Amino acid sequence: MKLIKQNIERKTGAGSATLLPEEPEDMWHAYNLIRPTDLLRASAVRKVITETVSSRSSERVHMNLTIRVTKLDFDSQAGQLHVSGQVAEENKHVKLGSFHTLDLELHRNFTLEKADGWDSVALDTLKEAIDQDAKAQLWAVVMQEGLANICLITEHQTILRQRIEVNLPKKRAGSSDHDKAVQRFYQTTFDSLLRQIDLADPKPLLLASPGFTASSFQQFIKTQAATGTNKQLQQLVPKITVAHSASGHLHSLSEVLSSPAVTSKLSDTKFARETQLMERFFEMMRQDDQRAWYGPKECELAVERGAVGKGGGVLMISNSLFRSQDIQTRKRWVKVVDDVKEEGGEVRVLSSMHESGKKLEGLGGIAAILTYPIEDLDEAVDDDGGQDLEDDINGQEPANGIEGRRGAYEEEIEI
Amino acid sequence: MLRHKNIEYDEDELYSDEGEDYAEEGGYTQEDKDNFATLTPVVRAELDEAGVPTTAKQIEDALWHYYWDVGKSVAYLKNSRTPREGKQEAKKEEKPKSKFEQAAEKADEVPFMTSRTAEWFKGVPWTNVPCEMIGQIVPAEPEPPRIKLLGGSSKLAKLAEERRKKAAAAAQPAQPSETDSASSLDRLTKPKDVKENVAPVPKAEPKKYAIRRKRSPTPPPKAPTPPPEEPKEQLPSLRSSPSAFGRALSSSSGQTNGTRQMALQDLLGSSYSSSPFEGPSPDDAVIQKAKAQQASNGLAKKTEALKIESTPAAPSQPKVRSKGLDVASLWNEEKSKRKASAAFVVIGHVDHGKSTLMGRLLLDTGAVSQRDIDKYKKQATELGKASFALAWVMDTGSEERERGVTVDIAQHYFSTDNVDFTILDAPGHRDFVPNMIGGASMADLAVLVVDANQLESGMKGQTREHILLAHAVGLQKLVVAVNKLDSTTPAWDQEIFRSVSAEVLKLLKQTGFTEENVAVIPCSGLSGENVAKAPAASSGAAWVSKEHPTLLQQLEKFAPHLTSIDTVKKPLRLQIADVFRGGITNPLSIAGRIKSGNVQVGDSVTIQPSGETATIKGIEVSGEGRDWTVSDDIPTLHLVDIEPQHLRSGDVVCSSQKPVKVVKNITAKVQALDSLLPQRVDIHVGRLHVPGGISHLVATEDARGETLKKKPRIVKAGQRAVIRLALDDGVPLEDGDRIVLRTDGSTIAAGRIEAISL
Repeated sequence: MKLIKQNIERKTGAGSATLLPEEPEDMWHAYNLIRPTDLLRASAVRKVITETVSSRSSERVHMNLTIRVTKLDFDSQAGQLHVSGQVAEENKHVKLGSFHTLDLELHRNFTLEKADGWDSVALDTLKEAIDQDAKAQLWAVVMQEGLANICLITEHQTILRQRIEVNLPKKRAGSSDHDKAVQRFYQTTFDSLLRQIDLADPKPLLLASPGFTASSFQQFIKTQAATGTNKQLQQLVPKITVAHSASGHLHSLSEVLSSPAVTSKLSDTKFARETQLMERFFEMMRQDDQRAWYGPKECELAVERGAVGKGGGVLMISNSLFRSQDIQTRKRWVKVVDDVKEEGGEVRVLSSMHESGKKLEGLGGIAAILTYPIEDLDEAVDDDGGQDLEDDINGQEPANGIEGRRGAYEEEIEI
Repeated sequence: MLRHKNIEYDEDELYSDEGEDYAEEGGYTQEDKDNFATLTPVVRAELDEAGVPTTAKQIEDALWHYYWDVGKSVAYLKNSRTPREGKQEAKKEEKPKSKFEQAAEKADEVPFMTSRTAEWFKGVPWTNVPCEMIGQIVPAEPEPPRIKLLGGSSKLAKLAEERRKKAAAAAQPAQPSETDSASSLDRLTKPKDVKENVAPVPKAEPKKYAIRRKRSPTPPPKAPTPPPEEPKEQLPSLRSSPSAFGRALSSSSGQTNGTRQMALQDLLGSSYSSSPFEGPSPDDAVIQKAKAQQASNGLAKKTEALKIESTPAAPSQPKVRSKGLDVASLWNEEKSKRKASAAFVVIGHVDHGKSTLMGRLLLDTGAVSQRDIDKYKKQATELGKASFALAWVMDTGSEERERGVTVDIAQHYFSTDNVDFTILDAPGHRDFVPNMIGGASMADLAVLVVDANQLESGMKGQTREHILLAHAVGLQKLVVAVNKLDSTTPAWDQEIFRSVSAEVLKLLKQTGFTEENVAVIPCSGLSGENVAKAPAASSGAAWVSKEHPTLLQQLEKFAPHLTSIDTVKKPLRLQIADVFRGGITNPLSIAGRIKSGNVQVGDSVTIQPSGETATIKGIEVSGEGRDWTVSDDIPTLHLVDIEPQHLRSGDVVCSSQKPVKVVKNITAKVQALDSLLPQRVDIHVGRLHVPGGISHLVATEDARGETLKKKPRIVKAGQRAVIRLALDDGVPLEDGDRIVLRTDGSTIAAGRIEAISL
């Protein structure tokens, strides 16, 4: 993303920034930047109906619209961001207050103005977004027999592009069905992979699986490259890395990305750092180190006590917390981040689109490594069990749902 | 199939005819000479009676031309002695036949026809033929086949004559009698049924085409010869016999086809009205029949079942009707008669010799022939892995053989005098633990294979994990096979065995196995001592037989397990372990262990989570067809009326009345084997392997189930805890299902589901 111009005041955070998204990844940044109640100005196409006494005509008019954001919708697969809101600046075609959904497009400027000013987290996000350094990207296929997840790992996201699930017959004496099915599975995975990756500029490809599946698949690609007519495929072959994963499910990717064999090849990319950090945290948890704590209330309390400060204090926070629709929630977390920074601690905002971020979300979206151990931090937190209560309500609903389904089955049988 | 059968016989007929022709051309065969020897005196005696002098040569010629027909030969010889009469007769034959002649001919034919047909159908169980079938042929008689060359001496004439006789013979079935037989006909010692031969009758043209006609409709695939006595089964063949091609051929012959065809239809009787494609296809019929033979009582019912459907619009797939058996009570009745059966899973660390030990067991129990082993040995030697030959019985996958590592569960059957065993050979490699969990969840007991030389590697690795998992999936009985004792130093060292078994027993006890359910057996899979056979008294392993039974004996001891009638009566639950193509006739088959309930052929079942219904077309248990099967069996079910994409391993087949719920959230009581945090985990329930996450640590508990701490920060290894799990996708689960949680390739918790919610 390019920063075209900005007039943000350092002190108050008031002002606006004009940005030019250049690649799909930038939409992710925009998604993290734009919040409800912000003012967003971007080009739009709107159907304008003009009515005269005699005729009624409609035409599509290109214009720049400014909206006050109410809702964001991010499509990670397509890399598209749709921002809904109410028109905040009237022009001759559009009335104030009418609704519009802006589709942010690549290579078209948009201007963002924060309603409550740019806070520290927003500024950090902006800084990260306009970082023009070459971004590491790699393709990964996490697989096991009968299952392959093709995903694109970028600096900030892990995007599952395609999932291939094939039922493979098990081995049985005197039948080659299994071997045939495995070959078919490789072929399907290979074909899907080719549809996804750009062979003209091949990125590193990581194959991970338990057992021999990944290396067999690598062999399969090599054979295809050697025998096929696709010359570009040969450029891909040396970029393949085979790694071990515990299963073919996507969450095994974090294990892969933290393994030394892979990290050495990936250099110091953000996701590798994040993954390692999470590993470290989990390791401390396992050893029952009282310096490792997770959960919103516990971490907030620890920060209040100044335990996440100079000398190794790390706060890990998922950026999904800042995307909260509720302004107060966002402010609360921004305050926590600012407090930690003030104390001299380190803040890592983990992308919720990465496996490490997802791990963190499992812990409530926030975790901290403290500078000194605090015993029984959780007991200081009074049990309100709000979350659990919610779940219990959820737990009762399904019963009805199943009743309904059962009825449906019976109908089928009668037919 | 039935068509094929016909063809087979037709071919026989055809070939035998041709065979004769050749024999004639090449002079008299030994058989011919024998016949001359027996028949010549008879003819001579008759001629002598009539006072006609003949030479032996004349008699032989006559017999030869009349094809061993004594009556005719005598008549001919008599006539030849009175030349004018003979000529007249010959002339008459050329003229259009008068009523008189026909009558005479008939009179002439009938007596020896009976004797010929008797030979022809010797050993046929005529009594089974419904009388209306036989009776209806008579109306077709009025116009017997035209005989053009009777009395001629050419071979063609003889052949024609023979055909005519055959046709007539078929038309007039008679009780078999023990007259001396023509050699060629002897080849058909077991003609199945009159109907097969009846079919060609109406079109009995004295040409070979008449017979080829039937051959043409289908290419003659060789099907196994079915047993002769199954009259009902043959209906389909009759329906389908007059194919379009066949009709075209027969009508081109210019014979009086109209009446013939009518006769055929009459002959076919009631079945003609129905479509030839109704009911199962011939191939299906074969399968069904094969099953019916195995299921002793099933035959009659099955045939009925085949006949029920008779809609003219033939469905592409035959509908399978349930017989509505009360399986639970049937099972209860047969319980005492049945042989015990047991499935055992073979577990242990990688390269401790699980597959080899099982290969040995199969070889020594005769389930696998030495010939196969020799073949494997040769192939394995070529790959430089001669010692893997026995393991190749289990490791059939090409990758498994190349790498010498078991990847997936191998399933094999063998029987002793007392028990039918199913072997589930699990992979030992840590990457394939999910497969091992799948196998262990299907077993009744476990065999833990421990390498006496490498106990340590296993104790750190999968020996420990497999023991934990075996306990976690609910196995209680366990046989420890201390393997590779032949390669200890010194071989069969009792001390090594003792120390190894002590250590393993300690671990087993810690895990929760009780002493009376564990047995330790010293053995060697590669050399075969104490697997199925006790070691020789002279060898170093002599001490073994004094103290320990063989592995097989121990397995038999542990085999009996109780399946309660309650479990059998519960709604059906079967977790699919494998979805595969069972063959041409069964394009879609599944295998798995029935957890509860029962299922029979024709049942409609629901597959969860897809919610699709399927119909059971066939059931096989241990490779044998059954009409029904109950819980604790590991059947193969052949399905119809469902698309394969709705079936995956790990799915649950359940009764349509009470389908299993598809859930996304579960609460489970688990024993932590590693520290638990809210984290991403792989959730294993038998063959089911899905991603999910621990969403809440609800509480930790002490051994008595009392809550220690609510909402713990972390569950430490060894603690018992109640946790809540959120699954990424809905999966079919029930209360009480045993779950295993794994992450990063190691097992972190195991337990049972306490509650489910959507």
